[in-house]
Amino acid sequence: MISSELAFYAPATLAEALEQLAAAEYGATILAGGMSLVPTMNLGLARPETVISLNRIDELAYIEEDADTIRIGAMTRHRDLIGHPIVQAHCPSVAAAASVIGDVQIRNRGTIGGSVAHADPAGDYLPVLAAAGATAVVRSATSERRIGAREFVVDIMRTALEPGELLTELELPKLPADGGSAFVRLARVEGAFAIVNAAAVTSGGSATIAVGGATASPAVAEVAGDASLEEAGDAVYEATEDAFGDLSGSAEYRREMARVYARRALAEARDAAANGGGAQ
Amino acid sequence: MKLPISIAINGQTRSLEIDTRLTLVALVREELGLTGTHVGCTTGNCGACTVLLDGDTVKSCCVLAADVDGQEITTIEAFSTGASTLHPIQQAFADNQGLQCGFCTPGMVLSTHYLLGQNPSPTEADIRHGISGNLCRCTGYQMIVDSVLDAAQRARESAPSASGAAE
Amino acid sequence: MGYVGKGVPSLTNTRLVAGRGQFVDDIALPDMTHVAVLRSPYAHARIRSIDTSAAESLPGVIHVITGDEVKANMNAIPETYDTGAVGAKGVKWYALCLDRARYVGEAVAAVVAEDKFAAYEARDLIEVDYEELPVVADPEAAMSDDAPLVEPDWGDNIMATRDITLGDPDAAFAEADGVATGSVRSSRITGSAIEPRGCMASYDPYDDQLTFWDSTQNPHPLRQYLAGTLGVPDTSIRVIQPHVGGAFGLKMPTFQEEPLVAYLARKLGRPVKWIEERTENFQTGGHARDTRFRYDVAYKDDGEVTGIRLEVLADVGAPTALCGWGMSFVTWYCLPCVYKIPNSETHLRSVVTNKCPWNAYRGYGKDAASFLMDRIMDHVARETGLPRADVRFKNFIPADEFPYPQVSGAMLDSGNYAAALEKVLDMVGYDDFPRQQEEALAEGRYLGLGIGQELIPEGCSMPGSLILNGSDGVEVRVSPTGDVTALTGITSPGSGNETGIAQIVADGLGCELSRVRVIQGDTESCPWGFGNYSARSIIIGGSAAQLAAGDIREKMALVAGRMLEADPADLEFSEGNVTVKGTPGQAVSFDDVASDVYRNPHGANMEETEPALEATRHFKIGNVYHQPEKQGRFSAYPSWPNGAAACIVEVDPETGQIEILKYCMVHDAGTIVNPLLADANLHGGIAQGLGAALYEQIVYDEAAQPLTATFMDYTIPTAVEIPRMELAHQETPTPFTPLGTKGVGESGVGAPLGALCNAVEDAFPDLDITLNEVPLTPSRVWSAIQEAKTGAPEREAVSR
Ligand SMILES: Cc1cc2nc3c(=O)[nH]c(=O)nc-3n(C[C@H](O)[C@H](O)[C@H](O)COP(=O)(O)OP(=O)(O)OC[C@H]3O[C@@H](n4cnc5c(N)ncnc54)[C@H](O)[C@@H]3O)c2cc1C
Ligand code: FES
Ligand code: FES
Repeated sequence: MISSELAFYAPATLAEALEQLAAAEYGATILAGGMSLVPTMNLGLARPETVISLNRIDELAYIEEDADTIRIGAMTRHRDLIGHPIVQAHCPSVAAAASVIGDVQIRNRGTIGGSVAHADPAGDYLPVLAAAGATAVVRSATSERRIGAREFVVDIMRTALEPGELLTELELPKLPADGGSAFVRLARVEGAFAIVNAAAVTSGGSATIAVGGATASPAVAEVAGDASLEEAGDAVYEATEDAFGDLSGSAEYRREMARVYARRALAEARDAAANGGGAQ
Repeated sequence: MKLPISIAINGQTRSLEIDTRLTLVALVREELGLTGTHVGCTTGNCGACTVLLDGDTVKSCCVLAADVDGQEITTIEAFSTGASTLHPIQQAFADNQGLQCGFCTPGMVLSTHYLLGQNPSPTEADIRHGISGNLCRCTGYQMIVDSVLDAAQRARESAPSASGAAE
Repeated sequence: MGYVGKGVPSLTNTRLVAGRGQFVDDIALPDMTHVAVLRSPYAHARIRSIDTSAAESLPGVIHVITGDEVKANMNAIPETYDTGAVGAKGVKWYALCLDRARYVGEAVAAVVAEDKFAAYEARDLIEVDYEELPVVADPEAAMSDDAPLVEPDWGDNIMATRDITLGDPDAAFAEADGVATGSVRSSRITGSAIEPRGCMASYDPYDDQLTFWDSTQNPHPLRQYLAGTLGVPDTSIRVIQPHVGGAFGLKMPTFQEEPLVAYLARKLGRPVKWIEERTENFQTGGHARDTRFRYDVAYKDDGEVTGIRLEVLADVGAPTALCGWGMSFVTWYCLPCVYKIPNSETHLRSVVTNKCPWNAYRGYGKDAASFLMDRIMDHVARETGLPRADVRFKNFIPADEFPYPQVSGAMLDSGNYAAALEKVLDMVGYDDFPRQQEEALAEGRYLGLGIGQELIPEGCSMPGSLILNGSDGVEVRVSPTGDVTALTGITSPGSGNETGIAQIVADGLGCELSRVRVIQGDTESCPWGFGNYSARSIIIGGSAAQLAAGDIREKMALVAGRMLEADPADLEFSEGNVTVKGTPGQAVSFDDVASDVYRNPHGANMEETEPALEATRHFKIGNVYHQPEKQGRFSAYPSWPNGAAACIVEVDPETGQIEILKYCMVHDAGTIVNPLLADANLHGGIAQGLGAALYEQIVYDEAAQPLTATFMDYTIPTAVEIPRMELAHQETPTPFTPLGTKGVGESGVGAPLGALCNAVEDAFPDLDITLNEVPLTPSRVWSAIQEAKTGAPEREAVSR
């Protein structure tokens, strides 16, 4: 039950949104798909005084490609990422992650920008973006910044965003022709947040693996292209020293699962590479 | 804060002034009196509040009413006008006992409608994934899955065949 | 001919699929007000003072109520399970805490306001000065001498105790070939009906009538409890049950909010509505199952179990007026379930803690007993090296020994456990499984097969109880046009019993099913009945319906006989026609008979016959023993449905994650009135059992703060996790109901616990894994695998 008084704005352009954000005296809360924000408001855990909805800003919903990168607007809904040809061709793990988030209804409304900005440790895009070496594009009324995906999440549900800033875009390098990628996850039931989730990218002489769910932000390990799966798993295990535990599993269990899923992600990424990169 | 909005609800345009704290499900149930959409959690988990927003299923407990200005909302009430005019999906649920208490059922019907729109010939696994955002505590899902399979079959049979053969 | 035995879809389906059902929150009355309840954030705290002034001054707020007002104006809520009758300790529980809160979520104050926004906003403005008190969070710690007390007056935290020795366990253990020891634990869970609780009340002061709509299972009992709490005549209250969005036992009265809302509506003279939020449901809507067992079992080398010693420790949460704690008694009462074990010693401790009270939940403790016995049988199989099915066959109560007096005093009415198990083993492919398992293992896949038995007695009848008792009424009316109404004391929280009742009535009258309309859940129109629980609706309510229909049929036969100048004994009623056997041309319609009864009470056909076609009958079920001094035993359950389940799972050894590949069950509920709805109920029961076995767990921390407050944390299975279930029925009718029906409403929920544990253990034939605690979360299974591999219970990072 949302009971605290609420001022609501739904600007039609990014510029307007940034102005309203800058003008909000006591700060404003950004509303994207609302699939994380509104439940917390319903529970009374978040009580924003001002909400700025991005749902009317069409210019923030896009999937575009340049020569080496693909760019995804923050308001792109999970659903629109799943079957998109550019995503499928150049960063299929984003589609793989989008396809397992929550359920149909959540995917119809939730956005990639909201998910990343929410920075849930088990958020499914985070390891994908970390493994890919993606960049978050952040804007305020007066400036634009680019933040590496691995630096974007600073703690559990805390990001590098400053007051007045919006996440507007995620930019991912295209998977090289000889590369492969994969995303895999372990969850209690369908639609539940992951216990751990893992993404791997292989390209040329190295592989990058990022595992979410065990630590505040994804644990990243880079291994040589010919590293064994065991080595990769061990490297991730080492990188999850500050793992936390919760109802779905102890810290130790999560670390072990991080190890297992690192191996599985890498194995699948190598298979994908062997099969010509593409979709999984 | 009060806010004027205008929506198309089950095909009818309505302009009203709402409290910004109102969620879409509360708008539908309490302001518009369409109580076929239910509330089981308000955290986006159960799917009892599923409605179509511009044709797509969403969990209306997690959408602010203020945020749907200018949009089209379709609820379970749009699917029939009386006992003899049940939508084929509803008829399939009724015939296959795809419900017990009926609390999850409107949401299930809307998710089925959306699923069949995307995939007219779903496998059992497709169906189970397609309705995984709708929790049911009564049925163990089996007769719901059978209802969806039956609804798909009925829809395929009543669709005009490719050769265009008339009745 | 006949509808009984046919799989007719539920009569309520049309309305419900159309979204035109009416659940309590769908009811809106002019001038309606809304309640928000302030709940204790502490597991145990003294309420020093409450400042309501800020809340009261918020625009839109009508009234703020605290414990002081409750104390001055309301009685304690009457107990629904009489603690005194069974030597247990009780408490006085009020609609709001008077001076002390004993679990997180216990109701402390409430706001009535013009709209929900104001109610909830004001609720957050109430300031309570709490003094935190020491907390009892663990049932074992609760039993220690220096434990803080949940109820200071009690002197300890033990609510109820049972120590019973039957036969000669000492001798059995002394003469055994072997003795095994173990422990079993089933976690705290809750039923999670998708519709939360809710109620609404409206008061007419001129007529002194309170109308009370409630998402409840038991309208008549609730009326008694409301009247008792308010101190008003029960005739001044009418309880109406609208559609109920699932209940599973948890909507049995009486919760704090029910009398609170009733009181507020009377006081304010305006309709008052309260609808529970999901988080409130997790905190206060009633929990179940939190039980720990320790066992010793004495066995012979041939698998015969000769004696058991059991310690049962149930964490029933805080004591209240709810009937849930009685589940711990029923667990004890069912033991040793389907087995013939002559010598036993059982020690039950029902212990209170600062957690949400138990309320009834599907299985009502029977599930836990079946789980324990499954684990014991599997343990004996492991020790003796005998196949697990053989150990069960060896110990089953033989089919020719029914009615069988079980050690607790229970009289098991009927059954053929061996035949059911044989059948389910066949369905699951037990004999062929080793080959299947080996093939899978060659591909690196770990498959396991598990067996579970359940015994789920039904029709609970407790002496002195106004909610759990063994009778129920049905009124059947045939109108002047020949249309039929059946009004029942039983209710349906969505389980479809109204359809079964209609089938029984249609058959009883010999008319079409389409003529019959069933009315339930209104104390004003429906005859007395205890409502819905313990799968009693068809066995007791259905039997009453049969009696009432029979009375009317008899009168109609008399009249029709006079109309046709035939002997009533020669008449056949079928599909709305009455014909004379052998002379098909000689007939009169059902409608014409009804019409004549009403139009010509003084006519020739009605001579010496009481007018009208209305009959109310109450059925008292047999096989209940409430007079031990005279009957030699006490027994509360008349009917003993049972089942055998078998499943095949695949376990991921690296993660501990389980996938159910196959789940089969053979169930014996005696005569099945409606196979479609019986299967539907079984599906639901099995799914809830699988949820409890694999996913569900209410968790509290050491300060008794609940950590599971939403469906995000409390994971109930979706359509993806629940497999397609294969069912078969074995109909061993009970001699104690006219149709031989035994009840199916709770069945399916017990067997998954043991079956799943057993299946996962079986997936690792080379490892010595014992899984005696549910739910089988991936981390729990994974840890067990690691322990078995390393032999070390406490392990640090193991490199692989
Ligand atoms: C039942 C359920 C299951 C779910 N399961 C999963 C799952 O399995 N995996 C998973 O990853 N997620 C899951 N989610 C979360 C889902 O992915 C959400 O869509 C996502 O976390 C938030 O996206 P949103 O667009 O809905 O953002 P919102 O809820 O609107 O916003 C989330 C937060 O981000 C902020 N924010 C949003 N957009 C911006 C922006 N552009 N710039 C700055 N700040 C912004 C908001 O202020 C808010 O704090 C689940 C949610 C639910 C309800
Ligand atoms: S009420 Fe919206 S998902 Fe449960
Ligand atoms: S039919 Fe009751 S919740 Fe689905």
